[in-house]
Amino acid sequence: MSQTAEATRGDAVRPAARPGRWGLGAPNYAASPAALPTVLGLPVLLWQLVFFAAPLAFLVVITFWQVRNFRLEPAFVWDNWSRILGSDTFHKALAHTMQVSTITTVLALLLAVPAAYTIAFRLTARQRDIAVAALVAPVFSSYIVRIYAWQVVLSPQGIANSLITAIGLPALPMLGGAFSLQIGLLTLTLPIAVLILVFAFSGIDRTLVEAAENLGCTRLNVFLHVLLPAIRPALILAATTTFLLAFGDFVSPMFMTGSKPPTLSILIVDTVKSGSQWPRASVVGVAMLAVLVVVVGAGRWLGAERRPKAKTS
Amino acid sequence: MTAATPALVVDDDMAARQRRTRLSRLAQYGFLALLFAFMATPMLVVVVFSFDANRFPAIPWGGFSLKWHRAVLEDGMIADAFLNSLKVGFGTAVISTVLGFAAAYIDYRWRFRGQSAFVLLVAMPPAVPVTILGMAMLAFLSRIGLFGTVEAIMACHVVLATSFAMALIRLRLGELGPEVEQAAWNLGASPSVAVLLIVVPFCKPALIASFFLSAAVSFDEFMIAWFVGGVHETLPVRILNLLQGQVNPKINAIGTLVLVVSITLVLLAQRFMRVRTGQPTATA
Repeated sequence: MSQTAEATRGDAVRPAARPGRWGLGAPNYAASPAALPTVLGLPVLLWQLVFFAAPLAFLVVITFWQVRNFRLEPAFVWDNWSRILGSDTFHKALAHTMQVSTITTVLALLLAVPAAYTIAFRLTARQRDIAVAALVAPVFSSYIVRIYAWQVVLSPQGIANSLITAIGLPALPMLGGAFSLQIGLLTLTLPIAVLILVFAFSGIDRTLVEAAENLGCTRLNVFLHVLLPAIRPALILAATTTFLLAFGDFVSPMFMTGSKPPTLSILIVDTVKSGSQWPRASVVGVAMLAVLVVVVGAGRWLGAERRPKAKTS
Repeated sequence: MTAATPALVVDDDMAARQRRTRLSRLAQYGFLALLFAFMATPMLVVVVFSFDANRFPAIPWGGFSLKWHRAVLEDGMIADAFLNSLKVGFGTAVISTVLGFAAAYIDYRWRFRGQSAFVLLVAMPPAVPVTILGMAMLAFLSRIGLFGTVEAIMACHVVLATSFAMALIRLRLGELGPEVEQAAWNLGASPSVAVLLIVVPFCKPALIASFFLSAAVSFDEFMIAWFVGGVHETLPVRILNLLQGQVNPKINAIGTLVLVVSITLVLLAQRFMRVRTGQPTATA
């Protein structure tokens, strides 16, 4: 649809445009050719450098600093690294966080793929727009309020247990374990995972599906051999995004399990709060970033691999 | 499609297949409904129980009451936090939209060395866990003496929100053919005049959407605000601190307020920037 629009627009304007009159060296630049990009670019560049890149770089620097008499002092020691990387608490928290976020990733994908499939292929265009709007809203709104609501629902005398006991079943201890933690993390991640996959499914050329069906493919085979391979990059994107969010989240482990056992995020906050052990908290933070870089890198590698499978993405 | 002639075996087969299809459709819609119920439940719980007369949210409902909403209105700390959230949100929305436009336009208009690094620098912040980002910003800002102010929270929220603003505006710019700007130059407009008179008006829906989305991102963010704000609490930080204390029946009422504000902001953003799923061309 928009393709035709673009074509007509191009045709209408093309005769008037003179090639070679745009770009950096165009003659109608009054001032220096770099003036406009500098004026536009410098503020945003500086802002991101000062408030984003510099803090992260500084975080790495502090990991080598020392705390003396509760004061942070510049130094160059490996002590913080060896202490944290050798500590049992860190190992346990790392293993726990990895495990939890891997489970969230698997659950989110298992739930998101069929949901996104239904939204993309079984709803009318209008219904699909509404579904997308309903999915975008929770991504940007009040995660912490919703986690509090799950506390209310899942607590021992909470709403879920009121309903369960009302129909004569024994109350369940739902809050404070792996179950409630996953509920919380899925609240955070599921809308985003579904959105990514809805866009991917919607972008698939429908004639591919029709061709496969005409050639006698069953629905399941179309799904497994046409649709899933076609959205592989999006699957990987959804998986890495989910993992990233679950891995770094503080609120769900804090309020859905009472931070027992602690995740790495909780370890950071505790280390910062319980005194001035900034360097050690920074080591945990940098280690987390390293894990995420590896995960995202692995995702990109997986996404890029085996591309020449005759797919028109 | 109509089940007309039952005599043939082929038709039996087809009827069976149709029944299977109908069942599978039903299962798909049912699953989708459950998923949306899962996402709606926490929001509904907060809103419904904010009007509950009971001190502790539980079933059965204690009857309709506005007392918690009134209590929220009379709470000075909540009012302060709300005011801080408004200041931070508005500032973030304005600055992020301007910076996001600049970044998007630069990426659209010029090819230069380090371009992907530049785009990455603007796009990446939301991918860094806010716990780590908050800690890093606190450490750095306290070194340069900016820690513990409303402006510090705003400066840090801009970092996050500009990423979304750039994405929205870049998407819109992708629909602006280069010949439009060329035409303006040919007619004598300088590049900056062309930006102001042609590109900015063209991007208006995306700019408005960025404004609301950036405000929503800021209004929703609590980890960074908690780290760098010091004694200055924004509304979600107030909730975070309330949650760490005793059970407080006001939380539902504040939660309702936060939900209403942030969902309104997101819906406004969506109203101006329709996210379309139908056309594969919109995937850029």
